Amino acid sequence: MEEKRASKGSGGAIPFLIGFVLSAVFLWIIFPQVIYCQKDQPIRFSHTVHKEQGMECSGCHFFREDGSYAGLPSNEQCAECHTDLMGQDPAEAKYVKEFLEKGRAVPWLIYQYQPDNVYFSHKAHDGFECTDCHPNLGDSDTPPPHYRNVITGYSKQTMKMWQCERCHAEGGVSNACYVCHK
Amino acid sequence: MGLNRRRFITFAVGGAVGSLFTPVIWKLTDDVSIWTQNWGWIPRLKKGADSAVPTVSKLCASGCAVKVETVGGAPYGTKGNKDNPLSGGGICPLCASGAQLMNSPARVKGPMKKTGEGKYDPVSWDEALEVLAAKLKSAAGGDGKALFISGDDSGTANEVFSAFMAKLGQSGFYYMPGEAQAAGRAWRETMNGSGQVGFDIEDSDCVLFIGADALDSWGPTVRNQKAFDATHPLGAEAAAKYVYAGPVQTRTAAVCDKWVPVAPGGAAAFALGLAAILIKNGASASAADFAEFKSLVLAKFTPGQVEKMTGVKAAVLADVAKTLMEAQRPVVVPGALGGGAAGFAAGAALNVLLGRFNAKGGMVALPQAPKVVSGAMGPAQALGNDLAGYLAAVAAGKAKAPEVAMVYEANPVYALPQAETMSAGLAKAGFVVSFSTYLDETAAGADLILPAPHPYERFDDLQTPYGLGRFTYCLGAPVAEPQLDVRSTPDVILGLAAKLGQDLGFETFEDVLKAKVEAIGGNWDELAAGAAFTRSGQVSGGVSLGAATLGQAAFPAKATAPVAVAPVMRLNVGSGHVATPPHNPTTIRDTELKGSVMCVQVCKATAKQLGVSEGSKVKLTGAGGECKALVHVFEGVMPGVVAVPLGFGHTAWDEFSKGKGDNVNKILTARIEPGSGLTTWAGSTVNVAKM
Amino acid sequence: MSHGHAKEFKVRWGMVVDVDKCTGCGACMVACQVENNISPMVRQDKENYLPSMTFERDDPSNKMRTLTWLMVYELSNRKDYPDHEVAFLPRPCMQCGNPACVPVCPVVATDKNEEGGIVSQIYPRCIGCRYCMAACPYHARYFNWFDPIWPKGMDKALSPRTSVRPRGVVEKCNFCHTRFLKAKERARQEGIDPNELPEGYYTPACVEVCPTGAITFGDLNNPEHKVHQLAHGKYAFRLLEKLGLDPQVYYLTKRDWVRKQGDNYLANEEPHAKKH
Repeated sequence: MEEKRASKGSGGAIPFLIGFVLSAVFLWIIFPQVIYCQKDQPIRFSHTVHKEQGMECSGCHFFREDGSYAGLPSNEQCAECHTDLMGQDPAEAKYVKEFLEKGRAVPWLIYQYQPDNVYFSHKAHDGFECTDCHPNLGDSDTPPPHYRNVITGYSKQTMKMWQCERCHAEGGVSNACYVCHK
Repeated sequence: MGLNRRRFITFAVGGAVGSLFTPVIWKLTDDVSIWTQNWGWIPRLKKGADSAVPTVSKLCASGCAVKVETVGGAPYGTKGNKDNPLSGGGICPLCASGAQLMNSPARVKGPMKKTGEGKYDPVSWDEALEVLAAKLKSAAGGDGKALFISGDDSGTANEVFSAFMAKLGQSGFYYMPGEAQAAGRAWRETMNGSGQVGFDIEDSDCVLFIGADALDSWGPTVRNQKAFDATHPLGAEAAAKYVYAGPVQTRTAAVCDKWVPVAPGGAAAFALGLAAILIKNGASASAADFAEFKSLVLAKFTPGQVEKMTGVKAAVLADVAKTLMEAQRPVVVPGALGGGAAGFAAGAALNVLLGRFNAKGGMVALPQAPKVVSGAMGPAQALGNDLAGYLAAVAAGKAKAPEVAMVYEANPVYALPQAETMSAGLAKAGFVVSFSTYLDETAAGADLILPAPHPYERFDDLQTPYGLGRFTYCLGAPVAEPQLDVRSTPDVILGLAAKLGQDLGFETFEDVLKAKVEAIGGNWDELAAGAAFTRSGQVSGGVSLGAATLGQAAFPAKATAPVAVAPVMRLNVGSGHVATPPHNPTTIRDTELKGSVMCVQVCKATAKQLGVSEGSKVKLTGAGGECKALVHVFEGVMPGVVAVPLGFGHTAWDEFSKGKGDNVNKILTARIEPGSGLTTWAGSTVNVAKM
Repeated sequence: MSHGHAKEFKVRWGMVVDVDKCTGCGACMVACQVENNISPMVRQDKENYLPSMTFERDDPSNKMRTLTWLMVYELSNRKDYPDHEVAFLPRPCMQCGNPACVPVCPVVATDKNEEGGIVSQIYPRCIGCRYCMAACPYHARYFNWFDPIWPKGMDKALSPRTSVRPRGVVEKCNFCHTRFLKAKERARQEGIDPNELPEGYYTPACVEVCPTGAITFGDLNNPEHKVHQLAHGKYAFRLLEKLGLDPQVYYLTKRDWVRKQGDNYLANEEPHAKKH
């Protein structure tokens, strides 16, 4: 009984505060590192090298006739130039050897991968800058790492529904379920 | 300040509260909820360009002109090809499952050799072809040693097959019996017709289908349905009258203006009864045998006699005749389901009497595409060969069994009438080779399986599928690379020919098709892009009325059992060649198949007479076999008739068809039709016993 | 949302089905399953992680368990031979103006709020309570009693247009809604106002494949669209019109008995006046 009374008097808030601060700081720093695993693209694709060759963004990223968006070029499109090795870059050699020649599609890691139940129309968002939503890869020599959420499997940069809804609401666009879902 | 229990708890609580000021809890809750939306066993969708690639689909008997929907190059769906007159945008329920059948679990994955009863080992193509070449070499010399059965009645592939057989000194090239074969033979042999007979339904204002379930399973169904569509505009009065005559109120009957119940096997008598009325009203024809025909129908097919043979009342018969006579451009479309020549010939004669032969909206004789493979069998001979008759003779020991039997795109073990007898005949062959895409009943009993690609993976063509009223040619180019170890059968045969030292003049089937396209004057690129090559024009020349044959063949066979069988084919259930595709079981009603037992349909009067009621378990026994079924009372069946569904009772294939229902081909009775000598099973009768 | 408070839409996508032209062939039902990734009825789940919990699934002839967003019913005039008649009636979701299913949903997984008037169904949001199924008088809603299974290899041939649903959620016809989204995308690409789609830009799978042209589709509000005139024609009727749910699916028939059955009248009851 004596002990108890003594401890009560000795400022119980301090361990609480220590616990509070330690946990908050620790979880703010550690948690994001634990929940996301960092992955590199299968091929170190350099946008700058391709731009230096005089290629336009729309040479690979373009709208098809039906208005759908060809986000990533297929092997056939790459093969229009890369019939054989064009440069000295080991990344190119890796691409030609491991993917193009074997006819395998490159499993690019998509930074904004959306679930199957989302229908995102690039055409409907044509007025925006690409970099409003996407990281600016166009000026990168090495693509930034991809952070994959170990629980959900989605990328860290995958836009959440509230973000879509906020922008729609601000722009006066309908937030009806079927505007985006399939 | 030392650490005691109280301080530790305070510390822990502080930590817990602190964690609430981090995103951890909220993020974890959110992530876990997202995680639950993506179970590992729920497949993900493929991304990529969505396109529609034209080709032809040969899953239904007549073939559909389709557009295969692909995502990132992989087929996933099938729709009709609007720009092709065979489709007009429509599609049949079999070809609608094309992409699913391409990935079906029933597909044969690669060449297989039989090692024991029901046991197979995969072999290489080289080894398999070596075996087959050796067998064929030993079979050479002496006709009748090899047999080729083709289930494709409109493809140029048949030229390769029959030329190959001819080079082997064999004349045993057969089509599977069906509408095209029966009508083709009756047209040439009974009617002395030339070219390919067809029906210009599109331009007709009155169509009488006699036993031809044209809006569901007869002929080029989709084109028939499109013709019906065009003459029956939505929300307005119809521009044409459609009448269906047959024992069962089929899907065709459901939308026709009138259903005239005609007893099974009575189609010819019904048509001749109409002919008698037309002649009495002054109809005539320049055919050489008109006088003979006239005296036949006036003597033997009076309304009273016809009523006895077909169950059609005199007033109804007169009414149908009146409809035909009042129409501007009537056409009679006779079905030949059940083989034989009589049904077709009587209907065709009716068209001649109506003055509708080679007329707009009538019955037409169409030119045929020139042959490109030298030595290939002409249509007259190929259509004339009667497979059912031959196999029945082999089974009975009256004909010598072949040493090698090759089967392409056909399932004779399952689909021939009196199936058990016929498959016994085929089993007598020394060595059976199946060129099947699927593990069907014939493949499952074959000594060697050399799998063919799915229609979306190969070159193929359609030359005026039977029933069309216009010369039409369509080409199918591959949409996707085969994922399995399969080879196009005509290519395999061309390779085999080279191996045996034959020269068929072509190295690949693609070259054969190119020659064919050139011969008809078509444009390869346009055809490969899904267009159809059509040409108007008919083969002129008189035809007879088939009086000599009809005089013997038009009378219904004597019943040997109390209930007449009316086989009903519903295309969504499958054809003789393709079993129920994976998505089709849900389209089959629970009044057609219940669990694993099929339903047969009888009307109340018949049910009462047989002492059965809705849901009764019955056994149907025919001359060659028996079937089990449940009774479904349906007032759209004539009294004294049991409607039985074709397409059930598979013993091979996959879980979507295997063991579901019974094969009614077993209870059909094959007999020789007097007058024509053709095998027929029209008017088969059965005993129906409650189980 | 109670009666009388239905949302007004500028565009109302609607279907007109001619019962007299439907042969019941089933091509539409197949195309629907393909388009919407409805898995075939596989009996056994061979790759389930918990084999002890797996059991044989229902047979496709058990129509309580099949998923048929579009169901073709067989109607009979109930007369004896030879006066018997049959008709086939395809039944998609009616996309009611006053849907009975929407107000009962406790989690707003289903709603009628998008321009075009298609009743939405969001699968990840659905908790599987099935109130909506109980509410729908057309039996147009279906419950996933099982996880979808495609036979090996067939899962590679999935349609990119509809997300795959797990066990435990309700689903229904949505007029192949992704085709609507795609049509708007195409219109934008071609410089056409996506809110005024020309006829033929948006066609559901069943309408597209129907070989007899029994189904027509378009904007019921747009007098230039065929469905507008057809829905106002003298042969038009709607199913269970008397319930006042204002369906966006119309039927045509010249046969009185079909029309009578469409409103489920008693044997001696006279049909009520038709409303539009």
